Amino acid sequence: MTASTLPHADAALQARLAAIVGERRVLVRAGELRTYESDGLPGYHARPSIGVFPGTRDETIAVVRLLAELGMPFVPRGAGTGLSGGALAEGVVLLGLHRLTRIISIDAEDQRALVEPGVVNAALSRAAAPFGLHYAPDPSSQTACTIGGNVAENAGGPHCLKYGVTLNHVLALTALLPNGDVVTLGNADGECEGYDLLGAFIGSEGCFGVALDVTVRLARNPQAVRTLLADFSSLDAAAHAVSAIVAAGIVPAAMEMMDGPTIQAVEASIYAAGYPVDAAAILLIELDGAAAGIDADADRVAAFCREAGARGVRTASDPAERARLWQGRKKAFGAMGRISPHLVVQDAVVPRTKLPAMLAEIARVAAEYRVKVCNVFHAGDGNLHPNIGYDATSPDESARVHAAMAAIMQACVAAGGTITGEHGVGIDKLPYMDSLFSPATLGAMCALRDVFDPARRANPGKVVPMHSCREWHAAPSARS
Amino acid sequence: MKSSLPTIPDTCAIPGTPLSDARAGIDACVHCGFCLQACPTYLTLEDENDSPRGRIVLMRALVDGSLPVDDGDVRTHIDRCLGCRACETACPSGVPYGHLLEATRATLTRVKPNPPVARLILFAFARPALLRLVMLGGRIARATRMSRLLSRLPGRFGFAMAMLESTRSAVKRARYVPRSDAERGTATLLTGCVMEGLFAPTNRATERALSANGYAMTATAGQRCCGALHAHAGDDEGARQLARANIAAFERSRADYIVVNAAGCGAMMKEYGQLLAGDAAWHERAAKLASRVRDVSELLAEAGPRPGGALPVKVTYDAPCHLLHAQRLATPPLRVLAAVPGLELVPLDGSEHCCGSAGIYNLIEPDVSDRVLAPKLANIAATRAPMVATGNPGCLMQIGAGLHRAGMTCRAVHPVDLLDASYAAQAAAERGS
Repeated sequence: MTASTLPHADAALQARLAAIVGERRVLVRAGELRTYESDGLPGYHARPSIGVFPGTRDETIAVVRLLAELGMPFVPRGAGTGLSGGALAEGVVLLGLHRLTRIISIDAEDQRALVEPGVVNAALSRAAAPFGLHYAPDPSSQTACTIGGNVAENAGGPHCLKYGVTLNHVLALTALLPNGDVVTLGNADGECEGYDLLGAFIGSEGCFGVALDVTVRLARNPQAVRTLLADFSSLDAAAHAVSAIVAAGIVPAAMEMMDGPTIQAVEASIYAAGYPVDAAAILLIELDGAAAGIDADADRVAAFCREAGARGVRTASDPAERARLWQGRKKAFGAMGRISPHLVVQDAVVPRTKLPAMLAEIARVAAEYRVKVCNVFHAGDGNLHPNIGYDATSPDESARVHAAMAAIMQACVAAGGTITGEHGVGIDKLPYMDSLFSPATLGAMCALRDVFDPARRANPGKVVPMHSCREWHAAPSARS
Repeated sequence: MKSSLPTIPDTCAIPGTPLSDARAGIDACVHCGFCLQACPTYLTLEDENDSPRGRIVLMRALVDGSLPVDDGDVRTHIDRCLGCRACETACPSGVPYGHLLEATRATLTRVKPNPPVARLILFAFARPALLRLVMLGGRIARATRMSRLLSRLPGRFGFAMAMLESTRSAVKRARYVPRSDAERGTATLLTGCVMEGLFAPTNRATERALSANGYAMTATAGQRCCGALHAHAGDDEGARQLARANIAAFERSRADYIVVNAAGCGAMMKEYGQLLAGDAAWHERAAKLASRVRDVSELLAEAGPRPGGALPVKVTYDAPCHLLHAQRLATPPLRVLAAVPGLELVPLDGSEHCCGSAGIYNLIEPDVSDRVLAPKLANIAATRAPMVATGNPGCLMQIGAGLHRAGMTCRAVHPVDLLDASYAAQAAAERGS
């Protein structure tokens, strides 16, 4: 049974859900569900059969157990800022978790916090700030996205270059499995014994269940920070600077690249950061750690940039300027609306050494398909985010954009890269899974999913192409 | 599995409506969600339909015809918007949300009019004689302490009486005559409806404080309501009529600046050009007039302002949305307060969030308004300041009424009142020495 042929919600289900969460928190009418048809990638939209929004842990458990009893599929959703269509609920129940916003505890001495899944990423860092702590993973959408969503997508962010992604900052979580069981994954007090189910759950894109609470590690604020802005007259030069810095053994906290069109969009916005609008590319490089030696490292980074052809390198003079430089970078995706009425954003990773060649290839693809590409990405990780603005009312332009995206993804895979760095597979990357993984590998993914959700009711139709699982189950002998 | 990007039809289901004209603004939204946490109704009601992104989705649905203009849910969520425009200062794409909201309301109210109480208020504000009578009644109720008595009544009527009660002057000051060398040019005050009706001492304080900072004050006859309440409520034609009357009146004034001490009115007048964009005969005049409009804090900050006498008082500051988000003026009011020696400014958590006043919103959406006000009052209480400064009559009355009904002794006050009191104290000290 595919998602689209599932039975639509009936009045009985509506009443039973309302008995748990209250009438106001069950949405059934077209006008109420419209905004929940999309996540942060509104090119895709799908109408849920019903939307249910529990406000407490107990309500969440009761809702999921009711859905289990009825055998109904559901799609978890946080703040709806995802960029792979992962929270689309086509004809099934949408389970919104953004109301679970309690920061249950902050343990400053042991540097950890226990939070509900709807806590906004930046709100957690704000709450930890009085203790000199912060939550390190900082996706660009951090002012809006939730910790639960971060766990589902194994979210990254500029600073994961040095500090690692969500996986490296979650110690334990309480998971509500699709069958209604509540299980503890990981160990808040230290190493976890047995199989690393926590690692399997993080990044499972809502297919293994939902998190009821998450114990995260809080990082101590670094003693010193230096934020450099290097200004280049070509993307290629900037890409070579990245390679040189990494090759020299310097590990910046973050190393981000933005190209000319992106810079201009940001500088036209309320988040104007003072980037040079005539630059073909900028690198935003942050060094942090002990105060001793940081200026020497900053000087070396600046020297590598100049050697690669930077027109200028400047350092943020105070925390306010540093914050401004980062705000500009983090809001760049949102600023794309200034360029075109519609937008797709890609998320591909290539080995860092391939960055210059890949940027050239993206430019070639853009020219071939006559599309407008804006590059804003995590250069230090080789994690590219080509944004393509277009007019979705034009079938011709839409087709060209789609073809260009596919060509870029294939080029990344051919260069030894992968199809997502941090946005997840969702539905947007599904078509590329076969080109990246062997049938046996995809089959192993299906088998793992069966452990958590044998009925495949949680976020159906995402991540692993349906046919992979079907083939896997149809031919058990092929497994040996 | 999607084999290609979905395309969307390039059609408009509601041609010729204000919303269809605003379509480019809708298209600027990329659905990133960065506005969510800036939106007071989203934070309060926890439904994305009550967020800027959700409302823009509904607007788009009206334009493409996938939802009808008489859809009840669309109306509910559009009505529930405070119009605080905090989303505009969070939006990287520069979506002109306030404009979209007004265009949507203008489109929807043609299908189904506003509730009677809203229409009654708009009717009164558009008629100067009637409005003067209403304000007189208010002052009598205040002078006879009727408002204090009636403010104990439950519900909206009691709240409205508490609003009235809260307009009692919060500062005591001696009279003084400001020096006036007029070195900074001339200014004329938009006296305003509620400001002149219930906050007349603040208007006089505004004139004195500006005089004391080198502005020669002149009066402008024939001015009317700025039209902001009408524009926000979807009565765009009513707003345009009032704007034309004001443009004609203020064109007769030769003053360099049209100074406004009500943030909501100032924001409206600065947008007269946009309001009359479709009116060939008036557009240019409107834009020219708008360029002369300044908030009082802007003019004062430009002049320093000149420091006054000591006023040892603890004050917290709440930013009016139409000053911070619509006019993008964050620091000038703080500079006004900083010119008062002895005044200790205590930061207010969430000062960038709306108080729930939002024009006449607190009278027509009382439940949501109360829920938005609650955290504001709690944050004010946490500062332990006996005064909260804010430069807009709606906010002064909303916060003032909330404080009054909660039995708190803290008073809401216009920043200019504090500066004026400081100048008065200085004059008294000079006379005494």
